[in-house]
Amino acid sequence: MNKLMLATALGLALTMAAGCAQKSVVRYGDATAVETTDISFGSTDLQKVAGEMTDSLVLSPVVGTLTQNKRPVMFVERIKNKTSEHIDTESITDSVSTKLLRSGKFRFVDMSRVEAAREQMKFQQEGGMVDSTKAVQFGKQIGAEYMLYGNLSSIVKSNKDKSDVYYKFTLRLMDLESGLVEWADETEIRKTKAKESVGW
Amino acid sequence: MKEIIGIATVALLSSLFVTGCANTQPPTTSGIGTNEMTQGDEFSKHLKLDKPELALKLNIAEVKSRKTNRLLEVNLQLASTFKKSLKLQYHFNWFDEQGFVVEARKTPWKPVELHGFQSTTLRGVAPNEQVASFNVYVRETAEKSYKY
Repeated sequence: MNKLMLATALGLALTMAAGCAQKSVVRYGDATAVETTDISFGSTDLQKVAGEMTDSLVLSPVVGTLTQNKRPVMFVERIKNKTSEHIDTESITDSVSTKLLRSGKFRFVDMSRVEAAREQMKFQQEGGMVDSTKAVQFGKQIGAEYMLYGNLSSIVKSNKDKSDVYYKFTLRLMDLESGLVEWADETEIRKTKAKESVGW
Repeated sequence: MKEIIGIATVALLSSLFVTGCANTQPPTTSGIGTNEMTQGDEFSKHLKLDKPELALKLNIAEVKSRKTNRLLEVNLQLASTFKKSLKLQYHFNWFDEQGFVVEARKTPWKPVELHGFQSTTLRGVAPNEQVASFNVYVRETAEKSYKY
């Protein structure tokens, strides 16, 4: 009887253990949730830097003056990745420019699609398929008045128990005609990873 | 007697494993609850809390808002009435004149830590000029995940 009980207990335990080990669940998560999977640059950091920079820019007194009666035209030069990891900085620029555009304060020209636009216009002008009176004309685009550019840098330190990463994101707005930097701001992120004892 | 010990062993072992399985939730996005609870003071319309328990630990000390460059800028002072540290996450919800959500689900959750009885100012800037009102949703961050 005793042996039977022991066998049952063992069997149950093994089944439970196996059940735990092989669990794999797929579920949808919140894209805006705080993500702390590891210490490298993540979605929360991207949302934080893009959000803070946009807020700072649209609230600045200089931008208040610039956008008083018009919506200035901007273009985003790339954000240089000076960190030690691979980060898609175009994604940061996309977020910043989308937020600024949706704020209704600025308009943008997209330098990354100049070739595609040129090709389409060439087709309309020279392809012979588009009514020439309705074809889009060359030389009528509006040039950017301001350039947005920046840097993302990091300092990484670690010892055997702890790692620490510090990100600094700098963004600047330059008046293309005068060459003056009209606005600049930086935002910082500190992330640490330490071993934590697992408690019950 | 032996039988009883055997049954007890089985029960104990299986319950241990059950708890072990139940607690393997990731610590990242916890606290998404549906039962919103608001406080009874004048600022209550600006604060949505995740759990009723949080209402006993948090208070809004002050709400200020103004229009800067035609955008609604909000300063909300959140005060802890709890003696221990609180690890929280918050996000702003923005509404237009008619009370419709503006830029829904685009404002990210931001982490904030309040030490015992500390107060902090949460700052929010409306995403565009249509925004007329707002509220802040606060939830507690789950601390750890327990794993075998």
